[in-house]
Amino acid sequence: MVAPPDNDVLRAHGLHHTHGATVALTDVSLDVREGEIFAVSGPRGSGKTTLLKCLSGQLVPTQGEIWFNGSPVHTLSSPSRERLRLDRFGWIDTEPHLVPELSAWENAALPLLLRGAGHRAAKHTAIEWLERLDVGMCARRRPGRLDQSQRQRVAIARALVTTPQVLFADEPTAPLHSADGTQVLRTLTTAARSHHITVVLATYDPKVAALADRTIALLDGRRSGAVPETAGASDEESRAACSLSV
Amino acid sequence: MLALRLARGTHPLVLLRRLLVTAAAAGTGFLVLAALGHAAAHPATAGDSLARLLWCTAPLAATAQLAVSMARTDPAARLQRGMAAAGLGPFRLTLLAATSTALFCALGVLLSLVVFLALRGDLGTAASGTATGSRAIDSGLLGAGHPLPWIGALMLISVIPLTAAVATAFSLRPRTEAGAVDTDTPSTTEAPSGLPWGVALAAAGLAIEAYTSPAAGAAGELLPLSGRLIGSPPGILAGWALAAIGLVLAGPGLVYLSGQLLCAGRPGALRLLSGRVLQEESHRLGRPLGVLCAVASGVYAAGVLHQAAPSRPLGPFTAIGAAVVLACVTVSALSSALESRAARARSTATLRRLGASAFVLHRATALRATALVLVLGPLTWTVAEMATLPLVH
Repeated sequence: MVAPPDNDVLRAHGLHHTHGATVALTDVSLDVREGEIFAVSGPRGSGKTTLLKCLSGQLVPTQGEIWFNGSPVHTLSSPSRERLRLDRFGWIDTEPHLVPELSAWENAALPLLLRGAGHRAAKHTAIEWLERLDVGMCARRRPGRLDQSQRQRVAIARALVTTPQVLFADEPTAPLHSADGTQVLRTLTTAARSHHITVVLATYDPKVAALADRTIALLDGRRSGAVPETAGASDEESRAACSLSV
Repeated sequence: MLALRLARGTHPLVLLRRLLVTAAAAGTGFLVLAALGHAAAHPATAGDSLARLLWCTAPLAATAQLAVSMARTDPAARLQRGMAAAGLGPFRLTLLAATSTALFCALGVLLSLVVFLALRGDLGTAASGTATGSRAIDSGLLGAGHPLPWIGALMLISVIPLTAAVATAFSLRPRTEAGAVDTDTPSTTEAPSGLPWGVALAAAGLAIEAYTSPAAGAAGELLPLSGRLIGSPPGILAGWALAAIGLVLAGPGLVYLSGQLLCAGRPGALRLLSGRVLQEESHRLGRPLGVLCAVASGVYAAGVLHQAAPSRPLGPFTAIGAAVVLACVTVSALSSALESRAARARSTATLRRLGASAFVLHRATALRATALVLVLGPLTWTVAEMATLPLVH
């Protein structure tokens, strides 16, 4: 067992995962550096979602190791993995799965409330994030009365409200119209850059993958050749230049 | 045929749930047949027999409610997508659900017919020998020795599967806007409107009862059980019925109110989740819980009256009827809770993905249950006490 290098926030080694009889991941290794936007690209069914779920501790890989901040995730018990998700990780789904009973701001504030934050502070932070993501005006509405892009923004606010260390986004723009998708993605990446949040982004869209600092490609559950770092994108200065004040 | 084939392939546990409907239908069928047997044995007191038959509407309604709630939570209904791919639209699916309900009820009713005939001693000497030996009272009560009008008996018991099937079809009828179960139904944020009506009806019922109840000391003649129906004045029965309908109507509003109380002030995650869910689910949970409260208050009131006048023993038919009604409404309330859990499966998964622990979710459920008990329990008790007050004092 090799101790992971210090600047890797997430590191996976030799991941295998099977859903019943279906092989979803075969020998996938990767490392995610702190503060970068890391894209996992591949067509549908290539194992992107399974990989993200393994990395975020929602699934335990059948084989292989996952390290977060130098400590193992794959050996943690289920309650400690839940705790880790709540404290350190954010998750954005393909579909904005909001709790339909709660209003937009309550949805966004939910992770804070679950962590035990006070009602007033949680509300204040949640509404701040909703305003940054241009959905401040519908903070009091229920998800049923929002359109899809508004709901996805609320879901993003919910993922960002705790300023997690790593944000997992599983095809966050797939259900949106292209203009909405571009804007949502831009707000997501700028927010991540300005708050120094590491993002692991699954996508089938090469245009989305182009926004990332590094990309790996998956095909049929295997890495199909690593794409080298996008020229200049990992450069600290250009990163600062494209970060808006979100 | 498809209904039969589906029934044959279902999971044993699901089949067990369906068999509850069969058991309820069997109990109701037996009561109906017993009323018929009474009529055959005592042609002179037709009014009494009619009253017995009318009392069978309570178990009949409870059976129909149980059948509907079982059909709503039937996993087969959740296979809609696969069925739609196979060319079975929402209309035919409704028919399928109604048919399988009728099938299971018919099974129960036939069972009750066999038991009834065996107890009467109509099924040959061996059966009658054991039956009359062990249940001599029953065979007398069932009108043994008097010929049974066959057409009438079959028509009467066929009412049970028909009612259940029609109720199922009506409850599951395809709605124009929401075709499938899994579409995001727009969340209904407004409070249910039945609460004022329910309170008004319950109050009116209790008032009518208090107004028409005769002087003290007559409680022994009042107990409206099927044995002495003729003696119980219609005013009191109408009052009880109105109060029960009021409780049923007020159910959703009361559940909503409990939810509102739970998340009043500045709630944390736990109170927020449990309260809002209760408000949202009040439409689904409220009716069966209201029915449960109404039946519970009725049973409580009957128990108090029975204690006030213990001279009258509890007849077997009253016991069967009460058991059927109680079991049906309890199971319906439980199954509506299951239905709401299934409907909320997606948001539960969302919460788990956020990192909410199972412990938090269990505590939220426990909090919801406690709030419901705290709001509905005292209310049921109050209604029951007020219903018995003019009769025992």
